[in-house]
Amino acid sequence: MSRYIIRRFLSLIPTIFIIITLSFFLIRFAPGGPFSSEKNVPEQVLQNLMRKYHMDEPLLKQYLEYMGDVLHGDLGPSFRYRDSTVNELIGQSLPNSMLLGTIALVLATLAGIAVGIVSALKQNHWQDYTVMSIAVIGISVPLFVVGPILQLVFAMRLHVLPLSGWITGREGFKALIMPALTLSFPYFAYIARLSRASLLEILRSDYVRTARAKGLAERTVITKHVLKGGLLPVVSYLGPAFSGIITGSIVIEQVFAIPGVGRIFVQSALNRDYTLIMGEVIVYSLILVLMNFVVDIVYGFLDPRIAYN
Amino acid sequence: MSRKAEKAVNEFNQQMKPVSLWADAWKRLRRNKMALISLWVVGFYALVALTAPLFPFLDYRTQVIEHANLPPSLQPAGKLVIQKLENQKKLLEERVNDGMDSLKPDLERVEVDLQKARQEVDTNPINKKVYIFGTDNLGRDMLSKTIYGARISMMVGLIGTLTAVFVGILVGAISGYVGGWLDNLLMRFVDIMYGLPYMLIVIILMAMFRREGQSSIFILFIGIALVSWLTIARVVRGQIISLKNSEFVEAARSMGASPGRIIFRHLLPNTLGVIIVFTSLSLPSFIMNESFLSFLGMGVSAPLSSWGSLVSEGANTMELYPWQLLAPAIEMTIFLFFMNFLGDGLRDALDPQSKNRT
Repeated sequence: MSRYIIRRFLSLIPTIFIIITLSFFLIRFAPGGPFSSEKNVPEQVLQNLMRKYHMDEPLLKQYLEYMGDVLHGDLGPSFRYRDSTVNELIGQSLPNSMLLGTIALVLATLAGIAVGIVSALKQNHWQDYTVMSIAVIGISVPLFVVGPILQLVFAMRLHVLPLSGWITGREGFKALIMPALTLSFPYFAYIARLSRASLLEILRSDYVRTARAKGLAERTVITKHVLKGGLLPVVSYLGPAFSGIITGSIVIEQVFAIPGVGRIFVQSALNRDYTLIMGEVIVYSLILVLMNFVVDIVYGFLDPRIAYN
Repeated sequence: MSRKAEKAVNEFNQQMKPVSLWADAWKRLRRNKMALISLWVVGFYALVALTAPLFPFLDYRTQVIEHANLPPSLQPAGKLVIQKLENQKKLLEERVNDGMDSLKPDLERVEVDLQKARQEVDTNPINKKVYIFGTDNLGRDMLSKTIYGARISMMVGLIGTLTAVFVGILVGAISGYVGGWLDNLLMRFVDIMYGLPYMLIVIILMAMFRREGQSSIFILFIGIALVSWLTIARVVRGQIISLKNSEFVEAARSMGASPGRIIFRHLLPNTLGVIIVFTSLSLPSFIMNESFLSFLGMGVSAPLSSWGSLVSEGANTMELYPWQLLAPAIEMTIFLFFMNFLGDGLRDALDPQSKNRT
């Protein structure tokens, strides 16, 4: 088991390496530099700028230098926000995004599983139909439709929740409700469908019939036998769900004006702020890859059928 | 061999009609009411989107400034304009009576407009227009705008899916059939691409390569297609590997069929069901991704608009003119909703064993 964990962990390194390399060259080969939108810059100033950010050196040297810096945890200075480093910019915005994303993921998982269980136990009853219709809507409606419509109803018409923004303290909790609900909705829907389907399969399996035949209480059968196996697919979906929530938060942060990484990401992509984009891609993929790693390991602990070799 | 002997026989030695996979699947699909309704709805959308240019009254470009921001209604536009101006006049009169003299010129202007609107309501033919989805801030018909938006969104979805299927089949089939180091290499590549936060890569691509004023729809296609073929490649590879050692392939090989012929004539038709299911399920997700980018301002750019950019525009004005948000949002949601149901239905029909799987 520990050998598997170590090997799995080592396999993350080439993935991250390739991601960094790919995005580095992708960005450098794009037309238009980070300073191309500045008006009337004298040639000399432009050259000084290029020198300051090492843009005048050969590409390979830039790449190696950048890699060296990244290995030391230094993502370099931002091209656009002249007074801040990428580390600072990401450091300020990442906690906000992480808070929002974590709340959304926890919400989606707990509510999704709960609804999935009810729906599977009440298969073909009205509870099942209602919940599963909501789930299909959840999968079909894009986040950026749900967000503005919630704003329209709860902030602009009913005035019960703040429209947007990021506030600390008691009011901050209220400001989080709409973004977190919106972000979790599609994943809640998917997890509900997923857990319902796998629970239904397990409910029909032989070992559950055996458990019932030996006279166990229905409650024990469900909690001890059905849930354990039935929730495995949900665990393996957490990886993709997390990556979806990261992407989704880009839109949510835009809609609800939340100062997170997603908002800076869009800005920096439009500004061609090379170092900032790179920093964000690296941070995002690190989180993503680590999350997948954790999910794999957890899955291994939960499912004894998986052999590690 | 007589013709009769070829016919299939059941366990009671009665002749029966052989049922092809497709006939069987169609039968199952027809029994699924929700899937049938979805088929009709999706077909209706496709028909409207395809034939929209044939109807001259679906005009998404003409700007009628007098008709700006009219709410959805079945009444002709002239009457709505008069109603709107009367409401404005009433509001302004109240304010002016309360002593806000600075609004007087506004009141006079509204009165002039109102007179003009009253005169023209029966004479000017544009006042006969009916905007069932309302109008935007330049007085363009929202119904036509959303229909033309649907054309763009559906085209992106379709082209994305077709590219994904084409590249995916090619890579999957070669990888599965050839095997060995080539298979290893291709599949490692697919693994790594899976690890990428791919929407982020598409956002970077869109931000980097699109230029102001130039239609970026082509780059959008490339960006979406670049990352979309991974799943289908994996699925096709798996199917090919499980089939390539079967007897019918052996037979084909012994008769001297080339690898290309074996792949395309013998192996791929067996994976068609999976491919169709994938196509129907990925179409909505491509449409969503395109809208996602357009919403962020990085998808299709004006004068083209898609569902995503319409929703984005509508969200800016939703406080005063909510229909500008709701019209594209609801239209899009209905389409995606039924598209998902259709995909589910097709999967249940073509692959009955996977029933109840999500």
